Amino acid sequence: MKLGTLLKTTAVVITTLAATSLPGSAEEKTLDIGVSDALTGGAAVYGLPQKNAVQMAADEINAEGGVKVGEDNYMLNVIAYDDKANPTEATNAVRKLIDRDGVKYILGFCCSGSTAAVASFIGNEDAVMLVGNAAERSITTLGLSNLTRTRPPADYTGAAAGKFVADKGFKRVAVLGALDVSFYASYVDAFEKSLKAGGGEVITRESFSLKDRDMTPQLTKIRGMNPDALLVVGYVEPAAFIYRQAVELGIDVPRFGFTSGSEEQFLSVASDEQMEGVWDLRPTELTLLSTTDNGIAYHKNYSEKFGAAPSPSSPYAYDQVYALKHALEKAGTVDDTEAVAEALRELPIPDEAVMQYLPVDGRLFDANGQAYTSNGAFQWQKGNWVFVQDLPSDPKAYSEFLSSLH
Amino acid sequence: MSRFWESNGNMIEIIQQIINGLAIGGVYVLIALGLTMVFGILGIAHFAHGSVSMFGGYLTFFLSSSLGLPLALAILIALIVGIVLGIAIELLAYRPVRNANHINAFIVALGLTMMVEGINLQFFGADQVIIQTNFDRVFEIGGVTVPELRLYVILAAIALIGAMTVFVEKTKTGQAIRAVAQNRDAAILMGINVNTIPLIVFAISTMLGVCAGVMVGSLFAIAPGVGEGLVIKGFAVLILGGLGSIPGAVVGGLVLGVTEALAAGFISSAYKDVIAFAVMIIVLLVRPQGLLGKA
Repeated sequence: MKLGTLLKTTAVVITTLAATSLPGSAEEKTLDIGVSDALTGGAAVYGLPQKNAVQMAADEINAEGGVKVGEDNYMLNVIAYDDKANPTEATNAVRKLIDRDGVKYILGFCCSGSTAAVASFIGNEDAVMLVGNAAERSITTLGLSNLTRTRPPADYTGAAAGKFVADKGFKRVAVLGALDVSFYASYVDAFEKSLKAGGGEVITRESFSLKDRDMTPQLTKIRGMNPDALLVVGYVEPAAFIYRQAVELGIDVPRFGFTSGSEEQFLSVASDEQMEGVWDLRPTELTLLSTTDNGIAYHKNYSEKFGAAPSPSSPYAYDQVYALKHALEKAGTVDDTEAVAEALRELPIPDEAVMQYLPVDGRLFDANGQAYTSNGAFQWQKGNWVFVQDLPSDPKAYSEFLSSLH
Repeated sequence: MSRFWESNGNMIEIIQQIINGLAIGGVYVLIALGLTMVFGILGIAHFAHGSVSMFGGYLTFFLSSSLGLPLALAILIALIVGIVLGIAIELLAYRPVRNANHINAFIVALGLTMMVEGINLQFFGADQVIIQTNFDRVFEIGGVTVPELRLYVILAAIALIGAMTVFVEKTKTGQAIRAVAQNRDAAILMGINVNTIPLIVFAISTMLGVCAGVMVGSLFAIAPGVGEGLVIKGFAVLILGGLGSIPGAVVGGLVLGVTEALAAGFISSAYKDVIAFAVMIIVLLVRPQGLLGKA
């Protein structure tokens, strides 16, 4: 045993010495980057595409010659662990990445609970954390200099959604949502605030839990209150049941939502007729009808590489990798995480970005490490989500608000 | 009369909530009937029942959606497979421990639950599945709406309960089942074959479970864990209605389903399970033997 350990240690030392003593001009090296995300379980619909997106971006960067840091070229190597969107699993995954694999740059993070758990200790680590799809606001109000997030917080979108619904002239809006999930609740809070400013009101807040599939009791209650419109906030599947059962109960008012589900996901629960006319008020994520050249190329490459269409939110993770690449190149180091984190904060929007970010003071991330995309109103028309219009959003004002929450 | 309904929104809402609750109540009844028969005859708490009924739902989904068979044929095949499965469970899992300590059957039941859940996961995957039907019309009567699918679920539940009752009350086999339930030794003396009765009971129980699985799969969705939740509700119904009582299972299931709907609609959906179980506890305080159980 002891002899074996000694031999191993010696081997490691020799290898390390050999590696560091080689001449260093334009040498090809490997930089490990970590991914912690939900690869199985209910949240894998968000997490797995994010992991794929990171892999795809890394492969693209490697094919183009890698990340050029000073004299060296680094090839990216992705090490991914499944955190099942579970706080404990995510903590273990990130600890393993940092302590065992020696990773300094960790990406992915689709879901708020697991992300918040990691964010709670990442400030003390010699590492940089890049958050993707997780929407809970508090993740970027912790004042962490080594954390950035590509997806805007839910309430940033909720405020824009409330204004949109008020502008359409709806006064009495009934809410049915997964309100025990805090980022959904914050979406509704912000929605209500701007709806009120526009002269409307939220007449009731009904909730459902993650496992509920029978929403008829809540919908029956809502029907009895004669609302002008319905707002549905929650995961795709329960939301699809709500849309379906609202039709079955004869609730004939406009249905607005915040779900970011794909057509296939909704059609496995509700029929095309039951979905007709439903609105989704959300960040302008990847939707072929609204997307840029980068988005179209992303969709094509992803579909070819993985044999399935990318989920709308997956580019948040793809964009993380390019942001990291540019920050590493600008900082001129892979070891000094503080310098890289600082470079991330100062980064303009990368040319390769797929999401349509709105810069704050010319930068991708604001002082809180938060990025902002535009928000959009999508409507279900004849079997497809159709981009109808931008939702007016003010990232600068929101950024100041976010800074005030520290 | 109709003016009364229309002028009284609250009344419509209450009736709507009751209709909402009847469909899920019907599913609870079918699950509880299967459990109550097995418990009444064999004294076994058959925890795997929920997972077995989900197996039936998964199988129906697989046959109708993946293989493209007509829904009725898919259900029929699932029922036959379910009956075979039920018989196999009795023969291979419960019969060997029939004369052993009660705890043995209890452990077998728990093990079986995990096994069937595992089989479901292995065969059908972890994704949620929904059995597609074309029943998406909606009927409206005086402000109360009844979706076509829910109506069929309620009618099917009534038909199954009726058939069950006739079978148990009117046929010779049914009499034998009741005799074994009342007094096993006396039933043996009367010449009843106590080896075939459990097989029949398991066949019927599993068949009812498969029907419940198909209903859950078409009304809502089947996913890992749904069966376990259902079996807990089934046992709650059993205790609420009275252990081993068939009419008790019917009344208990409907009471639970409607209570849940009313609680979610008028109080809070977050507490609907809490309220439903609180009602159950109150009933048991007043009537320890359950609503229709014999003291």
